[in-house]
Amino acid sequence: MTELGNSASQTLDGQTAPERAVAELLVNTLQLEVAVDAIDPDMRLFGEGLGLDSIDALELALAITRAYGFELRSDDERNQQIFASLRSLTGHIEAHRTK
Amino acid sequence: MGSAPEASELASPAQEPLIGRLPDAVLFYWQNRPVTAAAFLQDALRLAQELPDATHMVNLCRDRYAFAVAFAAALLRRQPCLLTGDHSRLGLAALAERFPGSFAAVNAADCVPLPTCPVRANGETPAIAPPVPMIPASRLAAVVFTSGSTGAPVAHRKLWGALVARSRAAAAQFTLDAAAPCAIIGTVPPQHMYGFELTVLLPLHAPAASWCGPAFYPSDVHAALAAVPASRILVTTPLQIRALLHAGSGLPSLRAAISATAPLERALADEAEQRWHTPMLEIFGATEVGSIASRRTLDGEAWTTYPGVSLQQAADATMVSAPWAEPVELADRIEALDAGHFRLLGRRTDLVKLGGRRASLSGLNRILTELDGVTDGAFLVPDDLNERVTARLMAVVVAPCRSPDSILAELRGRVDPLFLPRRVICVDALPRNELGKLPRQALQALVARLDRPA
Repeated sequence: MTELGNSASQTLDGQTAPERAVAELLVNTLQLEVAVDAIDPDMRLFGEGLGLDSIDALELALAITRAYGFELRSDDERNQQIFASLRSLTGHIEAHRTK
Repeated sequence: MGSAPEASELASPAQEPLIGRLPDAVLFYWQNRPVTAAAFLQDALRLAQELPDATHMVNLCRDRYAFAVAFAAALLRRQPCLLTGDHSRLGLAALAERFPGSFAAVNAADCVPLPTCPVRANGETPAIAPPVPMIPASRLAAVVFTSGSTGAPVAHRKLWGALVARSRAAAAQFTLDAAAPCAIIGTVPPQHMYGFELTVLLPLHAPAASWCGPAFYPSDVHAALAAVPASRILVTTPLQIRALLHAGSGLPSLRAAISATAPLERALADEAEQRWHTPMLEIFGATEVGSIASRRTLDGEAWTTYPGVSLQQAADATMVSAPWAEPVELADRIEALDAGHFRLLGRRTDLVKLGGRRASLSGLNRILTELDGVTDGAFLVPDDLNERVTARLMAVVVAPCRSPDSILAELRGRVDPLFLPRRVICVDALPRNELGKLPRQALQALVARLDRPA
């Protein structure tokens, strides 16, 4: 939890600051009809959960490169883990970002 | 079962080889090395012996080379390949029920609701090239699916003779030169008809070698192009062309870039030609007929039909004929310009196309209204579906006892992810007219009214 617990928009409902930034990127890039706060860090991004598709994956890759400076590669199995949830995607971004 | 040849196969003496290339010709680039025709054949023959007795193979291999080996092995074993882009559990379970006695060929530890057979290959050229098997042209090689207006997929049969004839036609259409074989980098899955034809079948009968490594993200495509020798042909889609151009930086020299699955905007084609210094070509086709025509986008709206493909206008529809293929009705409306050229007039309104996939709007509506507790409902296609990357369908539903989330959750297993509604809006009634029809404008107006802040 956070010290700013009295402000509804910053209770973060479990999102860390980097996760919230990635959640914002997701919602803004893909024009999703969900609130940034509503994306649970462990919710699945593709298939169930947020229900993203392959077009979204491509769009998201471009946005991640613009915002964080590194390029995504599809090294198949690992890629599924990276895109599994907001938490895993954020972890990958934090480990590889160049800006 | 799987080993009994079809009656038509016995009746016809015509045969086509499994591979129409020299044993040392490169067919694929797999795991960063060239795979020769002899190596591919050896892998296919070996796998053919390992396949279970079955009626059909559901080819789920994501690795393009494993897919090609599995397809060839199944062809040798007279097990038609079922090619589906719907790899959801429900979709595969429905396929298994419809084609009893089938199994899935996989190249990863996939959990699927039917028996599986792992596809192993090594890509190593044998000391002595095995003789190339001849296959009856009338053998059923593959079954592909389009979404039907009933909501259930419609099957389309592809005979071996038809697939070989089309590969040769493509080689002529794009003047592929045996003296200078090209490398094909395809960004489209092999289960998709366009990817199947250009990245799996073409190398078997035309001077082309297909890249089998990753090629989805712009950085993958860059790496793939850098890994193969010239001349390179990029086989892709408008979405990926857009992504590649946005990602910046040039590409290694290309002989051509080819786009299909959706119309390529002229501006995008223009930018691609200028940035990549290559002709930007488009293929026109459909799952049920395969590739049938091509054009250079900047040359204008006339499409040139492939050699051997002919179009006949019949009343409101266009029939497509080609060697070894039953005449098929085209889902698009066209106007013939002369014997070998036509222009597109548009699509039949029931079809929705997104990300290379096609759905029937009435089929989608039927799936929606058959859900428990849904008394009425309709999908709404935004006007700018193909112009805006983030545009998706929405669903307007009358379901007094259900939440939008629960409806969406139930649609998930039944509808291709690309066609899932991004929004489900629950309303008291749909604006149907006195005939019970739902005018699109009325539905749009209803949604606009709901969106307007009170």
